[in-house]
Formats: sequence, structure tokens, C-alpha cells
Amino acid sequence: MNRFPLLLTTVFLALPLQAQEDEFQTVITPAFSPVTWERLVNAESEPENWMMYSGTLDSQRYSRLDQINTGNVTELEMKWSYQIPVIDRAETVPTVVDGIMFITEAPSNLTAVDARTGRVYWRYDHELPEDLRICCGRNNRGVAILGETLFMSTLDAHLVAIDARTGNVLWDVEVADYEAGYSKTAAPLIVKDKVVTGIAGGEFGIRGFIDAYDPVTGDLEWRTYAIPGPGEPGNESWSGDSWKTGGAATWITGSYDPDLNLIYWGTGNPGPDWNGDVRLGDNLYSDSALALDGDTGEIAWHFQFTPHDVHDYDSIQVPILADIEYQGSTRKVMMWANRNAFFYTIDRETGEFLEGKAYASQTWAQGLDPNGRPIRVPGMAPTYEGILVSPPIVGATNWYSPGYSQQTGLFYVTSFDGEQEFFKRDEDYEEGERFTGGGGRYNQPMDAFHSSIRAINPATAEIEWEFPIMPRSSAGITTTAGGIVFTGSADGYFFALDAASGEELWHISLGARVHAAPMTYAIDGEQFVTIASGNVVYTFGLKDD
Amino acid sequence: MGNLTTQLRHLATVAFSGLLLATSNSLAEDAGNLYNTNFDINAGLKYFERQCSRCHGFDAKGNDETGAPDLTGRLSRASSEVGIFNIIRTGIPGTAMLPVAADLPDAQVWQLVAYISSLSTDPANIDLPGLVANGARLFTNKGDCSSCHMIDGQGGRQGPDLSRVGERRSPEELLSDMLNPHADVAPRWWTMRVTDRDGVVREGLRMNEDSFSLRIMDIDANLWSYPKNQIASFERLETSTMPSYTQTLSDSEVDDLVAYLFSLRKEN
Repeated sequence: MNRFPLLLTTVFLALPLQAQEDEFQTVITPAFSPVTWERLVNAESEPENWMMYSGTLDSQRYSRLDQINTGNVTELEMKWSYQIPVIDRAETVPTVVDGIMFITEAPSNLTAVDARTGRVYWRYDHELPEDLRICCGRNNRGVAILGETLFMSTLDAHLVAIDARTGNVLWDVEVADYEAGYSKTAAPLIVKDKVVTGIAGGEFGIRGFIDAYDPVTGDLEWRTYAIPGPGEPGNESWSGDSWKTGGAATWITGSYDPDLNLIYWGTGNPGPDWNGDVRLGDNLYSDSALALDGDTGEIAWHFQFTPHDVHDYDSIQVPILADIEYQGSTRKVMMWANRNAFFYTIDRETGEFLEGKAYASQTWAQGLDPNGRPIRVPGMAPTYEGILVSPPIVGATNWYSPGYSQQTGLFYVTSFDGEQEFFKRDEDYEEGERFTGGGGRYNQPMDAFHSSIRAINPATAEIEWEFPIMPRSSAGITTTAGGIVFTGSADGYFFALDAASGEELWHISLGARVHAAPMTYAIDGEQFVTIASGNVVYTFGLKDD
Repeated sequence: MGNLTTQLRHLATVAFSGLLLATSNSLAEDAGNLYNTNFDINAGLKYFERQCSRCHGFDAKGNDETGAPDLTGRLSRASSEVGIFNIIRTGIPGTAMLPVAADLPDAQVWQLVAYISSLSTDPANIDLPGLVANGARLFTNKGDCSSCHMIDGQGGRQGPDLSRVGERRSPEELLSDMLNPHADVAPRWWTMRVTDRDGVVREGLRMNEDSFSLRIMDIDANLWSYPKNQIASFERLETSTMPSYTQTLSDSEVDDLVAYLFSLRKEN
């Protein structure tokens, strides 16, 4: 073989790449440098960047930026807005690296913009089949980044690797068969040299799992099923073959503790959602927190919040990790405000239950036993005729991110006090068809219920303060070293509260429902805060002098 | 859904099925839905509960959060059963309304159409005891409804516009509205009582309330907007300002009003 042409090809390929890199850099924007695992582990120490869905691996959503603070937050003004071209609702939390912002869009698209101006570098439009199986809208919530590669979930249950500089596809793998009811909406999580990602489809009788992929090749490294197979511990908690179609989807992003080398991930409802007759038992590991070995995916421990759930109380909340003072000593804990209306503080080394109390209205449990297992109120399971239960199907909270402030030591959650009639139906499983076994109906207008932002002390599980808003908010929360809690509302406000007192500091009407969580970043020493509302991404900063 | 309406709907279904049997050699597009028996409606209900209720609600009343519309009244995207069929079959591009599985038989789609059609009442199939003309007179005269409600631009502003009320309320619901006005009050018609920082109290219909502000219309139709953080307090009265007609109108007069209100539709 003649080696000459090969050499020439290499040279010609390299030239345009170099030119592109030079073009990518601007005078005012720092050079985009690869996101190493070390940078991700230490993300807290470069608060000018927001390098993953929850900001840091512990998912506190706490930023050390304090230029915008309780004293000047009233001086915020809009710096730019970006209109997402495909009309739908935006649940995205943008990622910012060195002045470049990556915004995921409905249905499964991705755009890179200049984080200072909101103007576009590139777009990636993911081609989707027309016969998607999705339960709850066309959403995507964010990306993960490692090196110079972005990783995104898509509604057809693929995981796509995209070049951060160009938007070019590097690889595109099928995680599961969308025609069998699988889909993907959540941002993946980078754990060392792997892309860890979950799966959606809990309303289609899937069998949930958590996967890890090689970031370079897209090869599957390990898969841990959220429902144990025959012979594995926990499989006996499903009657008959119900484990095969038991749901336990893993549809929101987890967290990671580098010191313990444990991945923490929530699991969703058992299927069918509202008819437990066909899946007797605790239905492990549905509605649970799983702690997985960071290298092998092996389950180190589990904590099931709602054994044998019949109300669709997914434990699809982002686990917040922190070291707190608890009964005289420092404990490594995981904090969790669950869809089932109870707040939990759990030892994240062992899975031991430490504290737990209801943080929102609920009628299904008398309380928690010493191990954190709910003591059920008899007769609250769905019926053919309908039975009124609180919280409703959407839960006391849901997938939207809670926050934690290192300044106050408080945990913040968007909560809902509502109720709903739950119905049970008999359904046979058919692949790719909905498998829910019932549904729900509100018996009052939404305005008759209550939403609020609640601050909870994780050492006691007591509510420290609450700020009422109109129901039903599905906005996430971000806290900052400026003493602020940023969040949004169902009626289209973006607002700031004092993290210590809950006092209102600032609000602005953006006009459309906030389904997303805020994030904050800085460029050249200027702090910005970004929120998606309706179909638009807005960025705010302090007024120019 | 109560007994009166259910009975009315069953009657309508039977009448309509008879018509279809007589013209069963027509094209489906001409004759409408050939799968329209109670059996079909029930089959459609089952399919709806399983496949559609997550977005449209178990009661098909829609969901603001998902953007799925209320299917129990007039449908904005389909004016006929064929139109409903086509939306179910092909979905609405660019929205979360996905098409049904391609291999779902037409017969099952028609059963779903039959169920959705059963949620609204076709006035042609309803024989109400009251007289429309009498009801129209009562509306402006003895009933004094027009002092609060508008019809086609004429009337007051203290209650809902009723120009097309027949499209969204069944005769049974209209009857309940008149006899038990506090039973089912939409939040738009609650009353807000606002006390400002000077102690001045102002009351009005709850035009809109959000997390940080509220807007009301007082009895003189003045519009007021308040930031919540700049008033002393506010109170919601989740009752209706409408009087009950139990004492003021006879049963037959109420029937006449129901017949009149139910006749109020776009085509009229």
C-alpha cells in the first residue's frame, strides 16, 4: 500500500480543524478547554461554569457565585433571550463551559450559543420516528459533557454523543427499543470515564435499568436493572412474572460521591401504576434510591420509599448529597423530598434512615416507622369507583430539582398540597402499549390547591419556612452564595427568595409556565442567571453601570 | 355526570344508531360513525382511559399543564366525527398529540370517536321540556339574567358570557347552575376581598390571581390590579355572586330557561 496519500489526507484534515478552533475563540470569551473528570469532580471551585445538570456531582445546585446577592438582586435585568424554534415546553437546564452554553430543546434537539449573547454557534436536530411511545410530553432536560463531547438522551431511547465544537454526531446508540415503550429525557451523568444514564417508560410496562457507556465508543460497559431478575435478591418481591413488566424507570439524573465511589439514582413507579393486584409484594427496587458501585454498577444498598406503590409516587427526584451536623457528629447524608410527600435524610454510606417527616399534605400514610418504611392508612388504594387521596398523581413534588444551600444548611423543595380521585382498571400487558391500570381525576379546580417553596432542616426534617405560590409549580431550585434561592412558578414568574428567611427579594413575569430549573454562571467576572420559561431561555444579570 | 344527562345521551345514541342502520350503505365519511352503540362507547371509554387519559385527564376535561384540551365540549380542531377520527389516526404534527398505533383497526378508532362524541350533547337529539322563546323572555325580564350576563354583546359583565353556553354546558349542568349556583364555581367567578395598607377594602370578581399579584373587577366594572406584597391582606370567597332561582322561578320557568340557554350556540 502506498503510504503517501494517507499522510496527505491527514494533513488536509488537520488544517480545517485548526482553523475551526481558532474561529471558535473570541476576544471576550475564554478558550473552551476540554472538560476533564478532575474538572467535574471540582466543579464547585469553578462556579463560572455549570458543567452538569445539577451543577455539581452532589447535586446541591449551590453556586459559590455571590456577585448577585440579597443586597442587589433587585437590580437584575434581562441580558438576552433565546427562542427555541420547535414550539413545546422547555424543561432544559443549560450547561455552560467557558462561555459556551448548551441548550437542549424539545423534542430531542441541542443548540450551542454564546453564553454572553444567546446567539447560536450550531444546532443539532435529532431525527425521530413518528410513532414514539412517550407518556408525558416531548421533553429533554439537559446534557452531560466530558472532554469535548456532549452526551444527550433522545425520545426514541437513544444516547447520542455530539462534538461540543461543531454539533457533529460522534456516535448514536440505541439504549432500548422505543417500540417497546422505552424513551429517554434526562441528562446523563459523567462518572469518571463513563456516561451513566437512565431510562423512561414506566407507563409502558418496561423493566427499568441504569446503564454506563464508554464515552469514546458508545459501548455499553454495564447495565444494572432496577428490578432484579430470577435468582437475584428482591425478585421474590414480585408475584409471578410481574417483574418482567414492573416499570421502575430511572428517568431523572442521579448524583455521585467520589470519596465513597457510589452513584445515587432514583427509580420510578412499579407498573401497572394504579393496579397493584397483579404485582403483589414490595416490588423492589421501584420507588427507591439505589446506591451503585461507581465502577461496576453493582447495587451497594437500596432504600425503598414506597413499597408496593399504587399511586404513581415515583422516587424520581435528584438526590442531594451533603455532609451535615446530625446529633452531634458530621454525617454524610442524602436528602430526599419524595413525591409521596415525605422528606428523608439518609446516611449515604450505608442507606440507614435517619430522619423523615411529611413536608406536604398527605392522607395515604400514618407516618414512617423507625426504618423509614411508611405505615399505610388502610383502604387508600385506588378503586374502580375512585377514592380521594393526597398527594395526587403528580405528587407533593416530582422530577424538578430541589436545592441545598451550604450557607443556611437548608434543603429547598417546590411542593404541592393537592388531592385527587384515584381509579383502578384491569389491563393486560401488550408490548409498546400503555400499562397503567387506572388513572386520576381532580375534583376541584387547580386554583383551590396550594403550592409553595419549602425550606427543610435536614437534621430534623422540620419545615423552617415556606413561601406560597400558585399551584402547581414544576420549577426547580438553585441556591447561591449570594444568599439567594432562585426558582420559578406555574404562572410564569422567575423570582428570588432570601435563602435564610424565605422573604421575597425580586420577581419578574416571564409570561409562560416555568418547567425548568435555573442555573448560574459567569463570564469575565460578570454573573448571570438563566431560566427557561415556556419556549424561551432568558438570561439575567445586574444592570450595567 | 348525572342521571338526566345520561338518560338524554342514551336516547340520543339509540336515535342516532337507528338513523345509521337505515343508511348503512353510505360511506363512513357521509354517514358518520358506524360504531356508535353503547357497547362501542364503552369500548372507546376503555381505550381512552388507557391511552389518552394521561394527557387529557381521566374525565377528558383536559390539562393545562400538558396542553391537552378539554374534550367534553366543542372541539376546536374537529367539527365532525370524521375530523375526530383523522386527528386520532394521524395525530397533530408538532405537538404531543401522537398518532395511535398504525395497526390499530379503524373499528377501534371509531369506537374512540364514539366515546368522545358521547361527551358532548348533540342538541338535535335532545327533547327538552322547556320552551326556548319563553326562556329568552325570562332571561331579560323576570329572571333578570341579562343584568349580569351578556349574550351576543348585550347584557351585564358580572357573570360569564353565555352567547355559546349550550356548547359547553349540558342541560343538567345548566339546571344545577341555576338552582345551586355555589356548587361548581369556576375560579374566575370567585370573589376577592382586598384590604390595602390604608385599611380600604375593595371587593370584586377574581379576574386573575397569580403568585405575586391579583386583578379584580368591582361591581361597577372597574378593573383593579394589586401586587400582593403591597396590600395588607386578601381573602378569597369561593362562592358565586349569582342568586339561586329555586324561590323566584317556577319549575316550568326554569325548564324554559334551560331550553333557551342550551340553544345558545355558534350557529344560532
